[in-house]
Amino acid sequence: MNRQLPGPLRCAAMGAVLVVAMPLISLLWRAPWGDLPRLLTTDVVADALLMSVTTSICAALVALTIGTLVALQLSKMSGVAASTLRAVATLPMILPPVVGGAALLFAFGRNGLIGQVLDDTTGLVLPYSPVGVIMANAFVATPFVVLTIESGLRSLDPRFELAAASLGATPLRTTVCVTLPMIRPSIVAGAFLAWARALGEFGATITFAGNIPGRTQTLPLAVFVAMQEDRGAAIAMSLLLVLVSLTVLIALRDRWWPAK
Amino acid sequence: MVAGEVTSEQTPILDCRVVVERGSFDLDAEVVVKPGEIVAVMGPNGAGKTTLLEALIGWLPMSAGWILLDGQTIEAPGEDEITQTHQREIGMVFQDGLLFPHLNVRRNIEFGGKVSESNVRALLAALEIEDLKENRPQELSAGQRQRVALARTLATEPKLVLLDEPLAALDVSGRARARKLIGKVLRDTSAGALFATHDPADAFALADKILVLEAGRVTQYAAPDQIRTRPATEWVAGLIGWNYFEAMGEGAVVTLPNGTEIATALGDLDGPVAVTINPTAVALYLTQPTGSPRNCWTCHVESIEFLADVARVSLTGPFNLSADITKSAVNELGIKSGSEVWASLKATEVSVQTLADE
Repeated sequence: MNRQLPGPLRCAAMGAVLVVAMPLISLLWRAPWGDLPRLLTTDVVADALLMSVTTSICAALVALTIGTLVALQLSKMSGVAASTLRAVATLPMILPPVVGGAALLFAFGRNGLIGQVLDDTTGLVLPYSPVGVIMANAFVATPFVVLTIESGLRSLDPRFELAAASLGATPLRTTVCVTLPMIRPSIVAGAFLAWARALGEFGATITFAGNIPGRTQTLPLAVFVAMQEDRGAAIAMSLLLVLVSLTVLIALRDRWWPAK
Repeated sequence: MVAGEVTSEQTPILDCRVVVERGSFDLDAEVVVKPGEIVAVMGPNGAGKTTLLEALIGWLPMSAGWILLDGQTIEAPGEDEITQTHQREIGMVFQDGLLFPHLNVRRNIEFGGKVSESNVRALLAALEIEDLKENRPQELSAGQRQRVALARTLATEPKLVLLDEPLAALDVSGRARARKLIGKVLRDTSAGALFATHDPADAFALADKILVLEAGRVTQYAAPDQIRTRPATEWVAGLIGWNYFEAMGEGAVVTLPNGTEIATALGDLDGPVAVTINPTAVALYLTQPTGSPRNCWTCHVESIEFLADVARVSLTGPFNLSADITKSAVNELGIKSGSEVWASLKATEVSVQTLADE
């Protein structure tokens, strides 16, 4: 086995790496390093950061719950039914987030299918609220949980469930006490991916929850606004997001590809 | 209610006819196990040993038949009766143990959560695993894992224990020890046990009865001694070293398909028979023996295998024959692979069973 790529391919690969890294390098290049402390301590950034962190964590928990249930169901299905359900469950991954946000409006908006009933009965209005941010984030993040956990479930030896049943455990107890604990790595990975996806969410959030500073404005939305007014602040907030995302990616590296 | 014959006054712990169809393979096996009885399930690879166990536990659907556990119907496809695996009171020990890796030994054993603390302690002591209680399954040897798996199953006090090749993954020393301990514990329970194995040593050491499955059918179900002395098929005979032939009987003589005649001590044979010859009854000579043996053939030595103090000589000649002689006899005769020898056999040593006409 050759330990290195052949020469020409190696050059091309290095070029490719450079292309991938260039936007990040440019961001670092243009960063107003001296101004960073001031730029990152404004009220807008503080509010947006707090909003991003809390809504993304809540959204990850919601996505984890919904995604786990869907994945459990999927793992027991096969054929066309399974493919169809999997397609529906993972659609938000491919769908432009704006479309997802619009769809959420049609469902939960004041005049939406469920939103109208909610408004009439409880007076609860979900769009343009922090809860709306969580919903939009959870909507786009759930597919990551479904895919990760389903693949974990499918690679689990089904005879462990048989062993649990032979010991007298009901199917519910088997799922809770054997199946889910045994796929814990997949659950952890799914939760982190969902959280990272929610942290970066933009399109669905701005469509469904708007861009109200201090109420629904998350860091990505604040970056978008700042790009038009204060480039330095935009870069500072972008770096914050890069730092958080990279940390998660590196922490999860062994779950994404086999460790050396 | 369809049910197998009850041969003793005791209700059998298991009375079943398991019919499973899986593509081109089908299993149709009827088994009756008495309380406390240990039954070894043997057979060539793909004969349906694991399929039988997996149907009994409720993992594979049956297409016909019945399963009565302690007199209660738990599955009968014709009658839409089905008891789910977790309500069957049948325990199963898998080839690789399948201990839950996220639980330590103690919590694995308590998973079924039925027996008292003192019973668990007795089980742990009997299986010599008390010191491993706080260990993780990954920290155990294969033999220890199997003993924990058995303790975990017996802790639920099942009426029937199924063991699927419980010793197959073990090395020789772990195997002997685990076999001894598992046998001891199984003897102490009133549960019936059905264990699949490919090793005749397991079967002869542990089993009260041996169930032979070949191509999805039961070809023999008998006590080890009877299996040893009266193997019913070529596979069983080969397993325990006996020579087995199917032949046509006429009067006192049986004729092999290739025309070779073997004299027997019987006188009224008529029709197809199974002939078994104990390899220790075959005597070898360098020259044509004189005296009484009526069965005498010139053969060539194909190979010599040494098993403990016995040498098993495989012969080719008018037909293939195995002979067990002492090591010193091999030296005295000076035979080796390729040598020409005379093989003789007393007519009284030829065991003949009449086969039913197809």
